Amino acid sequence: MEGEEREREMEIPEIDSRLAKMCIDTATHSSDAVEKWRMQRRSLQRLPSPLASALLHRLLRRRLLFPSLLEAFKYSVEEVDLSGENTVDAEWMAYLGAFSYLHSLNVAECYRINNPALWPLAGMTSLKQLDLSRCTKVTDAGIKHLLSISQLEKLHLSQTGVTADGIKLLPALRNLSTLDLGGLPVSDLALSSLQGLTNLEYLDVWGSKISDEGAAVLKNFLKLSFLNLSWTNVTKFPNLQSIKCLNMSECAIHSVLEDKSDRVTLKKLIIRGSSFLQAEIVFSTIEPSCLSFLNLSNTSLSYFGFLHRMHALEHLDLSSSAIQDDAVEAISCIGANLRHLNLNNTKVSNAGLETLAGHVPNLEVLSLSHTLIDDFAIAYISMMPSLKELDLSNKNIKGFIRQINNEVEVVSLTALQELKHLERLDLEKTRINDAVVHVLQGSEELSHLSLNSTLLTDKCLEYLSQVKKLVSLSIQGTLLTNAALELFNPSVTLELLDLRGCWLLTIDSLTSFCKKHPRVKVRHDHLFTTSVNHNSSTPNLALLQKGMKASKVKQRDRKSSVSPILFKKEVLDQRIKYGREELISLQHLSPPLVQPLDMDIAATKMN
Amino acid sequence: MEKEETVKLISSDGFEFIIDRKAAMVSQFLRNMLTSPGGFAETENGIVRFPEISTTILEKICQYFYWSRQYASGKETEFHIEPELTLELMMAANYLHT
Repeated sequence: MEGEEREREMEIPEIDSRLAKMCIDTATHSSDAVEKWRMQRRSLQRLPSPLASALLHRLLRRRLLFPSLLEAFKYSVEEVDLSGENTVDAEWMAYLGAFSYLHSLNVAECYRINNPALWPLAGMTSLKQLDLSRCTKVTDAGIKHLLSISQLEKLHLSQTGVTADGIKLLPALRNLSTLDLGGLPVSDLALSSLQGLTNLEYLDVWGSKISDEGAAVLKNFLKLSFLNLSWTNVTKFPNLQSIKCLNMSECAIHSVLEDKSDRVTLKKLIIRGSSFLQAEIVFSTIEPSCLSFLNLSNTSLSYFGFLHRMHALEHLDLSSSAIQDDAVEAISCIGANLRHLNLNNTKVSNAGLETLAGHVPNLEVLSLSHTLIDDFAIAYISMMPSLKELDLSNKNIKGFIRQINNEVEVVSLTALQELKHLERLDLEKTRINDAVVHVLQGSEELSHLSLNSTLLTDKCLEYLSQVKKLVSLSIQGTLLTNAALELFNPSVTLELLDLRGCWLLTIDSLTSFCKKHPRVKVRHDHLFTTSVNHNSSTPNLALLQKGMKASKVKQRDRKSSVSPILFKKEVLDQRIKYGREELISLQHLSPPLVQPLDMDIAATKMN
Repeated sequence: MEKEETVKLISSDGFEFIIDRKAAMVSQFLRNMLTSPGGFAETENGIVRFPEISTTILEKICQYFYWSRQYASGKETEFHIEPELTLELMMAANYLHT
């Protein structure tokens, strides 16, 4: 949960030059290729940092990186991200400690990292950022090794084994501006001992033992702009003018500021799942002209009158809150600047949407899944001219309206054609049919579409061929057949086709589609999934299908393809035997398709 | 071929490569240098020296220029790179922005 707030600090640099990219591909093709260049010391020393970094991280993803190879990058690499790599241990750290220009090191979730493994980092003069999050074996003794990294500016220790005693040592790192102590037992006393860190701008102490008493010392951090106090016993908004972003989710917010005339000038406030004693008074202490981001999801608030004043709001999340149609009026009052609105899992119905229509000229993202709205709301939605993303996944949506007097059906989704900027549309869990999909052809900017109505058949793919800018298409769990896939002629822009759960498709048909459209990444239970390793860039299906040699992973995959073939025959049989309705009911009886693949993946990892 | 149609690239060890001006334009670096309105002596003479790039690498770069133009015109062949050359070639490519 805390990760959502945290911006990614390390990003592997993108290389523009195509030839340089091709060189990286060649250099990381196999361990033989690596042997051909790893002894070129002079070249390695001269390698510009972004190239060296790209090369190192590609080797890592291709499982070609090992500790002694790290030495090749000793003089060139400035940023290393090894997060989540379970092979990383003290030996790796010994080499990394010798890197002359290492600026940023991320070993989050490397569970083999323990206290002795941190020893080589001691005294590093270049290191400014260190992420040890979720390295559970790191404890107070490990902190002692870090105290001599005098230039350290950003330190992440969330969910490690560090205790209040270890935290009390941290003021020795005088340059710290970011400190993440999430999930650690930070006591009031430990927090007060951090007061020497006057450069602190970002402090995360979620889930700690801090109380109101301890939080009072926060006013001494004059530069603090981000503060996460979620899951603590703090009940007051900290009285700190510098704070721009505050997270007090899952807190019981009771009292207000001591000085009633003061107001907190927050830009961003997240109070997901918190409870309030006097909501009206609590919100009156927030300066409304500053607040642009407010997350009130999962709260039991029934009073939303305070929204009236918050004219600067751009992002409002009310999902799973108690908001109902009558309170939507407050949102429409401040609609002028609103860009994001999330009403998922609320009791907002058509009447609420009617109130909103025409008052939100800049709304770009609207989420309405699991609300009470039905097809009649779509006409109101079409009056929100800036909409780019719309989530309508909702079982009440059929896509058409049956007129009461005559039997003519009007396709309600036709109204979406009014939305000239619509790029993403989520229609999962709806009950739309092929005829409804037909009208989506009129949405010219549509690039991401999700559908999984069981009423969809082969015809819908034919219609979807006409959506010209489609980049990602998800049609999960429908009864598409091989014939439809064969005829499907996707737009040139299509990159991802998600067909998981379309269990009538056979592996032959899927592979032949992949061959025909190598740039489209296809997801299906029969296919070697892209998620073997989510960090990996290699399992690009298109490349695999082209017959890219060398990758050992792929060879294993070939062997495993025995099981899907067995499946295919079984599936073919059933298609002849059963009708459509029967097939739907049978679907849940069939054994899970993914299992053999999962086992294979596990085996790959063990090797 | 007329003089304006070609450019001369000189490697660190003095070897000269004469290539089509159009091929050289594959490199953003050379394109800027050869088309910039004023100043560069290179723009006038069409001669560019690379004291940091060896003959082997510069030859490979020139081959890449021609391959890249062919590839863009629809002839999808593979451009072979020897693993030994990857580091030096990568640096040159990065420098030439190609």
